[in-house]
Amino acid sequence: MAVKGLDIFKLSPKKNCKECGSPTCMAFCMKVAQGAVPITNCPYMSDQAIALLSEATAPPMKTIEVGGHKLGGETVMYRHEKTLVSPTRYAVELATDMDDAALEASIQGIKAVDYERIGEREYVEYVFIADKGAGADKAADLVKKVQETGRGAIVETKDADVIKAVLAVSTDVIIDGADASNWEELNGLVKDKAVLGVKAATPEEFFDIAEKLEKAGNKKLIFDVTADSVKQTFANAVTVRRAALVEEVKVLGYPSIVNLTRIAGGDIHMQTALAALFTIKYGSIVVMDKMTYAEALTLYGLRQNIFTDPQKPMRVEEGIYPLNGAGPDDPCMMTVDFALTYFLVSGEIERSKMPVNLIITDASGMSVLTAWAAGKFSSSTVKKTFDKLEIESKINNRTLILPGKVAVMKGEIQERLPEWNVVVGTREAVEIVKFLKDKEYEAAAAEVAKTKKPVETKAAEIIDAPLDFSKIVIPEIPHVDMGVHYQQRDPNSKKFVTIGERIHCISPVIREAMNTFNPEPILKRAAEQIKAGATYLDVNIGPAEKNGPELMTWAVKLLQENFDNVPLALDTANKKAIEAGIHVYNDVNGKPLVNSADAGSRISYIDLAAANGAYCIALCSADGIAKDNDERMHHCHTMLERGLSLGMEATDLWFDPLFLVVKGMQDKQMDVLNAIRLFADEGLKSTGGLSNNSNGAPKAVRPIMDSTLVAMCIMQGLTSAIVNPNDRRTMENIKTADLFRNYDLYSDSYLDF
Amino acid sequence: MPYVPKKQVFNASINAVELGTGDKAVTIGGNNILPFYSFDAPAANLAKIGVEITDTALEEYVQPGLKSFYEGCATIEDMAAKAQEMPGASFIVLHLEGADPNGLNKSTEECVELAKKVADKIEMPLVIMGCKNIEKDAELFTKISDALSGKNILVLSAREENYKTVGASAVLAYGQKVGAESAVDINLAKQLNTIITQLGVPAQSIVMQAGSAAAGYGYEYVASTLDRIKNAAFVASDNMLQMPIMTPISSETWGVKESILPESEQPEWGDPEERGIEMEIATATACLACGSDAVIMRHPAAIKAVSDMIEALA
Repeated sequence: MAVKGLDIFKLSPKKNCKECGSPTCMAFCMKVAQGAVPITNCPYMSDQAIALLSEATAPPMKTIEVGGHKLGGETVMYRHEKTLVSPTRYAVELATDMDDAALEASIQGIKAVDYERIGEREYVEYVFIADKGAGADKAADLVKKVQETGRGAIVETKDADVIKAVLAVSTDVIIDGADASNWEELNGLVKDKAVLGVKAATPEEFFDIAEKLEKAGNKKLIFDVTADSVKQTFANAVTVRRAALVEEVKVLGYPSIVNLTRIAGGDIHMQTALAALFTIKYGSIVVMDKMTYAEALTLYGLRQNIFTDPQKPMRVEEGIYPLNGAGPDDPCMMTVDFALTYFLVSGEIERSKMPVNLIITDASGMSVLTAWAAGKFSSSTVKKTFDKLEIESKINNRTLILPGKVAVMKGEIQERLPEWNVVVGTREAVEIVKFLKDKEYEAAAAEVAKTKKPVETKAAEIIDAPLDFSKIVIPEIPHVDMGVHYQQRDPNSKKFVTIGERIHCISPVIREAMNTFNPEPILKRAAEQIKAGATYLDVNIGPAEKNGPELMTWAVKLLQENFDNVPLALDTANKKAIEAGIHVYNDVNGKPLVNSADAGSRISYIDLAAANGAYCIALCSADGIAKDNDERMHHCHTMLERGLSLGMEATDLWFDPLFLVVKGMQDKQMDVLNAIRLFADEGLKSTGGLSNNSNGAPKAVRPIMDSTLVAMCIMQGLTSAIVNPNDRRTMENIKTADLFRNYDLYSDSYLDF
Repeated sequence: MPYVPKKQVFNASINAVELGTGDKAVTIGGNNILPFYSFDAPAANLAKIGVEITDTALEEYVQPGLKSFYEGCATIEDMAAKAQEMPGASFIVLHLEGADPNGLNKSTEECVELAKKVADKIEMPLVIMGCKNIEKDAELFTKISDALSGKNILVLSAREENYKTVGASAVLAYGQKVGAESAVDINLAKQLNTIITQLGVPAQSIVMQAGSAAAGYGYEYVASTLDRIKNAAFVASDNMLQMPIMTPISSETWGVKESILPESEQPEWGDPEERGIEMEIATATACLACGSDAVIMRHPAAIKAVSDMIEALA
């Protein structure tokens, strides 16, 4: 087990002296765990603690770097537990007794397979040179030749002369040959120079030899686990890995070589089967007789899948993908860069056999609706894609089909791409075949072409011009008596802060109301939530690219004027809209809450909150979900430091661990709960979209999940949550928890307030 | 101190589900070790391979190697009989692709007739794969289960939308086995097994189809789903995830670009049939290594390689 920041914290002096340069001991320990700063930066850490830590912080499996690639360094057995970090590498075997022509042919064969797949270069990364006694010079020569092609070299030999000659050429090699009888001699030659390959028949033998080599001071090893049968080779690969990572036998924590040329019986198909097996189960380098496109296309695809980080969605590159032989005169369809979406959509288009140019836009690897709600798939990102890819000059057809789920963007995109005829496609991928075959889009495009307004020549907009509040014109705010009053509250109260989530543009009713500035549905939902006991109301206006400032100004005034200055969380990807909302905001019941910043591309929302005297939700993630709590706390401290440097109080930032959906990320729930405890231990406030946990669960089950989780979270120190206040169970639990924490005085009717 | 590896043998085991009758009956599942971990304990049953014959195979099995294997076969039932000769084959899968109302829309009667002819001609167990259309599949599975009563076939598969009809007819009325299909989602897989069991279907009559994808095509989701199912079945003894898993391979792999792009369009890629074979081999191996107890394959060369590997690891 790698040591956690919290374990280091237990050994730290806990005096928060700041001499190390970090604001708190906790922050410092988190950085040490990340490897960002050395532990010796702390002048007060005891020698005993340092010694303990260096033993404990040694990873369970060494990372060996050779030939330009990292091998090993894994911390888990399965990708779903965290992620696998060092992809299996493929090698092809050459022998020193091959004649020059045969060698040349083999090297050409190795070089022939070299291509790109979803942003990754796929080629044979290593060459395995078997020493057949053809002389030291021949072996050294081959190493030179191999390295000239940009491949790493593995030399299988026990011959001291060969080793010396090879190491004279290069030390960036693996010398594969130490066994029970010769380990001492080979170690003397290779140690501190190259990586030493160890050969043994069983895991027990690997342990014995590796222990001796480690005692002799060599920790740059790799295990050639190839045995005389497929079965024993597999047993070796699995047992060694399991010993290192599960049983914490550190002596066995080394990467592996699996040489299929010795066990596949010269059968290329068997070799592919075994290559796939050892790609999934624990081969660091897999050696093969040959690698042609037939093997490569499938093995590299498999490898790319297995070694993709489960927390980071696999993305396809932004671009024009002509399908079914599409050319410039065929229509365009657009979708996002989330790999699964791409495969689904492109698969259905291919099934339709209709020529279509599929345009993939950069949406940070999110699915269509999520990307839209996060502002990653909007008319301006679409426009950006069109400009960047120079689509107008590459495609003559002017029909652009949008995913049905974002039909709402049609108008805005039409405006940004006036040359085009924007048509709404299907909501689901399975409907695409019929949609394309029926060619309904042709009539729809013709209709758009006929009815669209001529292009107006607009004066160039000044991007990033300061917001002129006097130019924000909004419809008159109606004052309606909803029979509900917001109870005045002390903004510094310790009571749990319930943020009502129901004014959200992903709800069709609210989306429509925001499109038309219709106050009624918004007032209705606000009244319901306030009546149920919401402390804050979240106002999510979506990306609102076009009229964000107007819409937010209107929404803030509408809600605060009708409900006694109810405090609000301003939730949108449009920063100008947040600025405009705060401009008209009354903070008598609590400062505005900016929803939200993160430690990645949205970190400047902290600046926005600081400049406007607002609170800010600080989502502890950067690109994708944090892998573990060390990463979460790293993001937390990055944002904390930024806020503090801008003059905010630590409590002005409300840290969001990012609640994860149980259906899909069940094994990460305890991480989230523990992160809340880490925030609380540092005296930080916390919040988050708690109801995300029960997404996709049956309606009857969701309140049970939400209310149980909220109680567990409060026990961990959660100070606020974005929930549905109209869920009675959840609200009852929140009120009761406030009671137990002695923030609210008991009476028999305490639930009624 | 010398190192002694720990054995990882579980108290819980995967259900053993028997398909077919007589000498050629096969048992799927039954193990209490992770796939191929025979160094932990001997496997009760080896992984099994089924041979996929689509109802349009006469026209669609065009790859020269595949075609020559079936040379002389005039009918689908001839092909099914011939498929039994493939080294490594344990059962026959009749895939009724042509029943799809959005495709060839073959009538239920025609499909039942074909299933009967195939069943009469073979000795190995029979698995019926549907056309993925919810209503049509429910109808096909019901009628075929009735027509082949006593043959102990498997219908692949019931889904969330039609499990009541399929489960009630195939298993409760006609005593066949049923597949429970979910799309690469462990929670849904467990839910479907639970509700099918709640119908009164014994757990021992259920085989899971937990989703499939060709290597390189979102296979990571399949891998993690299979890994997690086996983990839950063994470590947490979750008896609603202890059903054996059968994964269709060939229906996924023979449709991807790597298997079909003609050599003329990408000369360096070489012979498409060879690419398709390798794709089928790697995908099947990957599924077996992660948790499938049986795979459905098509090409004799691919089946031989995977079967040889299963033997070598036993």
